[in-house]
Amino acid sequence: MKKQYLYTVTIMFMIIYTYAQNDSLKSSATYKNKFTIEPGIGISPMPIVDMSLTNIVQWGIAKRFSVISYTSLKENNLFKRNFNYIKGTNNHTISQSFGVGTTFCSKHADHTFSMLAGIKYTTYTETMSNPQFEKVQVSISEWNPDAGLMYNLKLGRKRFFFSYRMYIPLAPYPMLSRDFSSVDGNIANISLEAGLGIRLN
Amino acid sequence: MKRIMTIALILLVAVSCKKKIKAPENTREFQIESSYASATYDIKIALPENYDPQNKKYATIYLLDGKDNFKFVAHHCKEISEKKSTENVMVVSIGYGRDRALDYTPTKVKSGSGGAPEFMQFLMNELKPLLESEYAADTTRRSRVILGHSFGGLFGAFAFTKHNNFFGNYLMLSPSLWWDNEVLLQYEQDDRSIISNKDQLVFLGIGKLENSGRMQAPFEAFYQRMSKYYSSMKLEKNSVAGMEHMGSKNPNIIKALEFYFQNR
Repeated sequence: MKKQYLYTVTIMFMIIYTYAQNDSLKSSATYKNKFTIEPGIGISPMPIVDMSLTNIVQWGIAKRFSVISYTSLKENNLFKRNFNYIKGTNNHTISQSFGVGTTFCSKHADHTFSMLAGIKYTTYTETMSNPQFEKVQVSISEWNPDAGLMYNLKLGRKRFFFSYRMYIPLAPYPMLSRDFSSVDGNIANISLEAGLGIRLN
Repeated sequence: MKRIMTIALILLVAVSCKKKIKAPENTREFQIESSYASATYDIKIALPENYDPQNKKYATIYLLDGKDNFKFVAHHCKEISEKKSTENVMVVSIGYGRDRALDYTPTKVKSGSGGAPEFMQFLMNELKPLLESEYAADTTRRSRVILGHSFGGLFGAFAFTKHNNFFGNYLMLSPSLWWDNEVLLQYEQDDRSIISNKDQLVFLGIGKLENSGRMQAPFEAFYQRMSKYYSSMKLEKNSVAGMEHMGSKNPNIIKALEFYFQNR
């Protein structure tokens, strides 16, 4: 699983790199006054797949400088909610972040690198119903700060375009492991997202 | 624009800088071959300041996953014992001889698991005698501590239930009590009448965001049983806000050591 994940991320980087090589940046292009909305769906592949609905709103306020809003509703451990008599329910994370980014425009795409910070709310319930033991239920809800780095690729020059992004969480940092293959390291908690964007002007 | 990006980069680097922890000053390292586990273990020992083997005996922390945690634990033992003006301990880091998933799990669920009974025999019959003969390790149950995280915490719970005469102090962090349909809860139930009246110190730590769907409920069941049935036990539970499985480890190590030095 870890190896598959490593391969997936490496391939994603290679695709982006190859694409960037063939699509030279236009230094004269400006992102000022551009306004985009990009709903999408995402996955966090490690350690157990989380799925999310996300949205990015980006407004260019200078030639290469944008303000960005990032909203995410994540369903955690979507495919493994019954394990050893332990049932997980209501396992969601909702987050809202704002940040700034810099955008490089090329002939066919815009590449935005941004830093985001905000808050997230996580809630979940675990119930252990092993017939040999007493039943125990634990419910936890918590507000936490959220922060991360994002790469956003807008592919296409028309009103509707393909949007791909990669979000690397930095919170909590540096408490998360820096080991690439660690189950709750920052890199291992990457969220890979894709969606359809719309340019409003 | 350039200025903003420069400031942002500086902030990022500042946030990334982690406090560097120095290696303990007075250490010993050796390897020990275990006939029980059929493996060779790397052992490191951090000796207390002013170590005096002729006139003193020292409490001993048996530290699992020692390769990852040795410096951190040794550093904080020194810091906390100095703060509380109490004698420091010997920190014994136990490196990996076999896979941790084999050494720290009590039952065989799949290939490469279920080696905890042999690993326990290694601790009791090979490592402990050596620590007592070659170093100034105190020989009493009360002076021995086990500290483990995740599967290491599971091993701590195994030692607590099945070999309670060996350790008097159990620092169990994010223990994987879900193992084998919560088999440790069964062990606890079976041995409760024998171990519940003993003097012992138990710290249970977890991260509040360990939401992988398996950690919290068995942890809570174990804690509730400790509170209900173990009248002679000094017990503390700590749940680290905003932290997941790995992130909660170091904050819980600090809390566990503070609890130990305060109550031993």
